[in-house]
Order: sequence, then structure tokens, then C-alpha cells
Amino acid sequence: MAEQDLAPIALTLDHLFLEFGGLSVLQNLSLTLRAGELLALIGPNGAGKTSVLNCICGIYRPSRGSIRFAEQQLVGRLPHHIAQLGIARTFQHGEMFQGMTVLENLLVGRHARIRTGVFGEALFSRAVRAQEILHRRRVEEILDFVELSAFRHRPMASLSFAQQKLAGFARALALEPKVLLLDEPSAGLNRDAREDLARFILRIKHETGIPMIWVEHDMQMVADLSDRLYVLNHGEYLTDGAPKEVLSDPKVIAAYLGGAKHEAA
Amino acid sequence: MPSSSGYFRTHYDQDLRFIDTRTQRYCLWLLLAWLAIYPFLATEMLLDLANQVLLASVGAIALMLLTGFAGQVSLGHAGLLAAGAFTAGILFKEFAAPVWVTLPASAAIGAVLGLLFGLPSLRLRGLYLAVSTLALHFIVAYLGGEYEAKRGFSSGIVIDPPVLFGWVLDSAQAWYFVLLAASAGTLLLAANLLRSKTGRAWRAIHDREAVAEALGVNVPAHKLLAFVISSSLTAMAGCLFAYFRGFVSVEAFTLFLSIQYVAMVIVGGMGSLLGALLGAAFVVLFPYGIEWAMAILPIPTRWSGMVFAVDYAAFGLVMIAFLLFEPQGLVGIWRRMQNYFLLWPFKQQLMRK
Repeated sequence: MAEQDLAPIALTLDHLFLEFGGLSVLQNLSLTLRAGELLALIGPNGAGKTSVLNCICGIYRPSRGSIRFAEQQLVGRLPHHIAQLGIARTFQHGEMFQGMTVLENLLVGRHARIRTGVFGEALFSRAVRAQEILHRRRVEEILDFVELSAFRHRPMASLSFAQQKLAGFARALALEPKVLLLDEPSAGLNRDAREDLARFILRIKHETGIPMIWVEHDMQMVADLSDRLYVLNHGEYLTDGAPKEVLSDPKVIAAYLGGAKHEAA
Repeated sequence: MPSSSGYFRTHYDQDLRFIDTRTQRYCLWLLLAWLAIYPFLATEMLLDLANQVLLASVGAIALMLLTGFAGQVSLGHAGLLAAGAFTAGILFKEFAAPVWVTLPASAAIGAVLGLLFGLPSLRLRGLYLAVSTLALHFIVAYLGGEYEAKRGFSSGIVIDPPVLFGWVLDSAQAWYFVLLAASAGTLLLAANLLRSKTGRAWRAIHDREAVAEALGVNVPAHKLLAFVISSSLTAMAGCLFAYFRGFVSVEAFTLFLSIQYVAMVIVGGMGSLLGALLGAAFVVLFPYGIEWAMAILPIPTRWSGMVFAVDYAAFGLVMIAFLLFEPQGLVGIWRRMQNYFLLWPFKQQLMRK
């Protein structure tokens, strides 16, 4: 853990507030993600976990507070700009482009990295062709990584839900992110698919060192894989720390299981 | 070299080609040969029909890019055609401008109009967007009508045949080759855009706008780009239309024309360039088919004056039938036929895309 604390900061949320009309969603939230860290964001339903991700990638605009990434303020920037800076995410329900092939889905994920202009594209100039091949090659590596190469030309709609979620993972990786946001990657997957997923998450962590914020409901998975847990309850910070300590914390248990007063314990 | 080996692909470049296998290449040559001799074999009537289809296909491809791929509905298509036609007509009448001036001018006017009338797409979608694009139609029609009235061309503007490299375009056969080149050029341009970054971004926006944005696609810019490119191509088609007919008048650009273009996209098959071509052919040839059917069917002569009414009604019915029973359009039917013959003689499950 000491080593983790020394790692440089990748992303900081500083005193973040999010409100929809009179409804307060996030209150005074501060969070630091360090380089190479796998941070799991947990909390009961409605705690605001996905809202945190939506604030980071610009879909929601926090009413107060700041989000800093690579010395840049993210609050107030448009989602596509934030993605171009190198923050990629997956979605809880996959949200894949159903009418496109697996390959095309990943190439959309790579949009921000492809440098071609519309006039060159209209004529499909030599430079555009070279770019397309270059990025195809990179996308093939990512497809190979998530073991979906065989499905490259298949329409996304013909893949199973588990495969689509893996493809969503690959689509986020295609951006070559500096920070990866995972929104319940295991939701809707069976045991086998979850084990595959766990393997991919660990491989990303160890092979690329991309720091991740991982919203998750599967406590066992989170406890086994993550470096640190960060618990949200009703939009507020509850606690954070090493998985084993956090999961045995009476405050966390109370938050999950309801209002039983465990404070005395 | 792939041509001397089997059809196995050995390089990613092969996936980017339109024509990869020998069979495809032979088919393309056959098609080109057929297209080249067609005007010399066809009757005057058939040649004129081919010209109309080719001209409509330019506009249909342009609308397919906007509606079928980028997912932005537009009812302003007739207005854009009119804008291109009037740009050609006015520049010809006022400045005696040649075609190599009027065509780029039409493209520029189309691009500007596309940008302006694309702006509502940043806030509106679906039916609301369609209604806002309708404004384009009426504004252009009004301005065109005003020009005709003020300058005393109340029956329309007559344009001389264009001169290309000292060659006067006045025969149907010459027009055939010009329109074929225009159609093929538009098709190639559209296909190129669709196999690169911009086309993928359009399709992504069509499918899931918010997700595309979260992946780094500048959604407003790409929507406007779709409007600009589509409008520019359409206005150029309008300019060609003006020269082809030799005559420009607001009466030619009715709301029904816009609906016909939307019909080309729907009947042809959303999200397919082949669909745009099939749809253009279908919608252009449809009234002739109805006329022919009424001529050979034993219909009382007192009804024969109603050919236009029957035409409209049948057109409406066909549109409804396609929306209900074949949402993938003619392309859907074509793909099913292909599947059937690929698997023949084995029985097949219907493949859903």
C-alpha cells in the first residue's frame, strides 16, 4: 500500500457536488486515483456510482467542485473532448453499435486517434488508406487481447451479451486511454464470463498499467481484484481502503443491509 | 498477388477494397460494358428513363448519407435541388456563367444552406427535425418564385445546353454519359466516406448518439458535416437537373419531390448505398409502370384520365407496404435472394441481418 501512495496522481475529484433540480445526487465527494491503481467504486443501489463516472466523462455537469486530469480541469468540457484527452469508459448495458461489425465498433472507439480529413476520405487518398490499415492493425491487437478476433466481421447484434460487454471493453481500450472507467462490467454475466472478465481486468492492470475506476456490485470479485475500495452511500463518501478492511467495516455493512445500528460494534 | 492465388486475404488493405476477387472484377467489367453500350441500344424512351434514374440517384445517395447513415431526417431535399437549379439559372441569365462556374457555385450554396438548416439537428430529432427542414423548402421556393416574378420569367428560366471542353451537351446520349459519371462519382465519394472515420462516426451517431460522444466523436460537428455534404451534393444534382431539362421553374420542386426522395431512401433500404440506387430506380420508374399497367389492363376508358390519381394512391400504398412488411427495403429483398442462392439447395433459416 505504501508504494501505491507514492504513485503519481492520475485523476482527482475535488469536493464534487451534483444536483438535479432540488435532488442532491453527489455531495462533497473527493477521490484520488493513482497511476496504475485499480480502484473499485462500490455502494448500494442509487448511491451515485454511475453518476460519478458520468461526471468524469462530461455527460453530467457537477454543480460545484473540480475534476482534474493531467493538469486539466474536466468540469465544463464536452464529453468528446474529455474522451480525446484519454478517458475511456464502458457502459453497464454494453451500449454497442448494433448495426456495425465488431471491427467497426472498435474503430469508432479509436475515432479520436485516427488522423484523416474529410476531403482525403472522400477520395480515399493514399494517406487515408495508410491510416486505416495502421489503425486496423492496432484494433486487431485489441480484439486479439479480448479473444474476439474470430468475430471481427460479425454484426454486433449477433454476439451474445457477454461477448458484447467484452467488445465494449475492447472499444474503450481502442481509444488507448490513460484512465479507464468501467461501469459494472460484470453485470449480467455468468460465472465463466466473469472469470474471463477478471482475467482481462488484471491483464490490463499488469500489462498496461492503465488506472481504472471500476463500479461493481460483485463484492467477491471486487475483494479479490481491486487495490482499494471506495464506498459511496447516498451520494456521500462513506469510507475507503484495502478491500478486506472496508468490507468488514460495520458502516459499510449497515449501508448495504439497511439501518441496523452496528456503530457500537 | 491475390489475383493469382485463391481468395484468401493476406493483407488488411484487401478488406478496404471495393473489388477484391476476380469474379467481382469480371462482374464490374461486364456491368461497365453494358452501361457503355446501353445508350446505343436503348430506344429514346428507355434512354430518357435511364437519364432520369441516374440523375435521381445522385440526390438519393446524398439523402441516404444524411438519413440512412447519419440518421438525420430531412424534408428539405426538393428545396436543395431547387437551390442548385436556381443558382445555375440565375448565374446563367444574369452573368452568362458557364457550367464550370455554376456547378461549384451550386455546391457552395448547397453547403451554406446545409449548414444553416443542419443547425436545428443539434437540438431536434425525428419528426421535429423533419418539420424544421421543411422551412428550407418553403424559403427556397419563395425566393425562387420572387426572382421569377421580379425578372419577368414567370413561366420559368430557359438555360442553354452546357458546353464541356468545347462539346455541347445537347443529345440524350451525351447526357447519359455525363449523368452516369456524376452518379458513379457520387457513389464512389459516398462509399469512400463510409469506409473511413467520418462514415463510421455517422453510423455511430445514428445508433447511439450519447455513446458516440463519450467515445470521442464530436457529434454536433459530424451532424453538420453530414448536412453540408448531403446538401452540397443535392444542390449539384439540382444544377445538373436545370441543364438537363434546359429549364428552371419553382413548379418542378414541390413538396412531393421531397417525399419522393425520402421514399427512395425507405423503399431502397435504409443504410445502404445500393438501396439508394435501387430506390431511385424504383421511384422514378414507378409512375411509368402504373401507366403501363393501366394501359394493358382492361380498365374502362373513363378511368384512364385518372392515371395521376391512381399513381399517387399506388405510390402511397407501396410506401406503407414497404414500411410495414419490408423495413429493409429492396436491399433486404436482394440480400434474402442472395442468401437463398448461396445456400441452395439446402433449406435455410431466414437470416436477420
